[in-house]
Amino acid sequence: MTERDTDAASDIDLIKRAQAEDLDAFCLLAKRYARRIYLLASHYCRNPEDAEDLSQDVWLKAYQALRTFRFDSSFYTWLRRITINAFLNHRRSGFFRRRGQTTMVQLLPIDSEEPHVLFESSSASQENIYNKLLFESVVDALAELTPAQRLAFLLRHYEGMSYDEIAIAMNCSTGTVKKGVWRAIGKLRARLSPEADVPETLTSFASEY
Amino acid sequence: MPNCKEIKERFTELLLDGVDCRSDEAVSAELRRCPECRSEFEALSVTLRLANRLSDAAVPTEAYWPGYHSKLRQRLLNAQNETTTSRAKAQRRKDELGPLFGPLRPGAGTSLFTRFLKTSVRVPLAVGVALVVAAALLLTFTIRAARNDVQPSHTTTIVRVPVEVPVVEEKIVTRVVYRDRRSIVQTAKRPVDALRTEGTFASSQKSRSEATPASLTGFKPTDEIKLTVIKGGLPNEK
Repeated sequence: MTERDTDAASDIDLIKRAQAEDLDAFCLLAKRYARRIYLLASHYCRNPEDAEDLSQDVWLKAYQALRTFRFDSSFYTWLRRITINAFLNHRRSGFFRRRGQTTMVQLLPIDSEEPHVLFESSSASQENIYNKLLFESVVDALAELTPAQRLAFLLRHYEGMSYDEIAIAMNCSTGTVKKGVWRAIGKLRARLSPEADVPETLTSFASEY
Repeated sequence: MPNCKEIKERFTELLLDGVDCRSDEAVSAELRRCPECRSEFEALSVTLRLANRLSDAAVPTEAYWPGYHSKLRQRLLNAQNETTTSRAKAQRRKDELGPLFGPLRPGAGTSLFTRFLKTSVRVPLAVGVALVVAAALLLTFTIRAARNDVQPSHTTTIVRVPVEVPVVEEKIVTRVVYRDRRSIVQTAKRPVDALRTEGTFASSQKSRSEATPASLTGFKPTDEIKLTVIKGGLPNEK
């Protein structure tokens, strides 16, 4: 089987191979979904190191539990359930680092040796600065929420899950989930709305987007 | 017609789902009619659009991923090795202890119990008889001991209950007994006040003494009498 064939293989084939302890097949699955899991983790823990550790823990748990996958849902749905459980368990164990408002994107100094890493062109640099400002505003808004409220908002907004699905996944009531999501929206609205203290260019940029 | 609060909830859900709000007639009609709802809608749509851009900002560059995957692969390999090692250990333990505990397993063909049942030992006749007699005696004594242990259901049970017993107390009661002086000293003079005090009693006794003059025969006046009072006893009890 060539590499191209392997890349084109369906999730089901890869899962069956991974269940037979084929590590390469599992790594291919991880490559397919790693960004989504990482993104969820980074929104949730607001720290790149924590996001990396947490997302990799999710993959380890998934590898160990892969034999229990019965093909009655999509692989991503199953993986997302493991992710949510991992998030909730980490929340209980106080896993996250306490480093204040460490942000994902760090501004490079003006005399940086490698300016090309982030600033490839003038338009790209402008977009990057907007992104950083935006990121910090959103992160600050999300930081004011409880982990459960933040997770509920992430699953509703970024994952498009229904309130009932989230309630089942988080083992709480639909009302609690709704309340969490609305609270998150309220916080974001207070931080990011045009009336709030957000640079005008940023909101106009977002409107154009 | 839905109110502003309901419309706000509705367009928020539509925005969260990424659905165009113009597709909802009630929402678009309300947005045209109410400027407050319209401004709220605009603010919220900008907020969520900005939040959506968080994903773009949070995703690391392409250069980040090879390192991430190689690290993940290493962790997976370590986990796999640990699992293999623990499985091998378990297998080794099983191999070591297998011959010892193998016959005890439920699925084992010739279990220890089966072999015990099938085993026969040659015993001399005298020893056999003695063993049987001993077993019979042991059985008899065991049954008798068991019977003796059984208590009849109607056995009297002694129950000790504290009971209050009446206590006899002696009490000296002093009474003055007046005697009829007329029968002893007719001429004796008595103080006026004493006569006045005794008057009622003497007059009451007078008729009685006259009626039964023999009753005073042998009467010995005394200053003290002894009464026995039984506390808590019956009236005719002494």
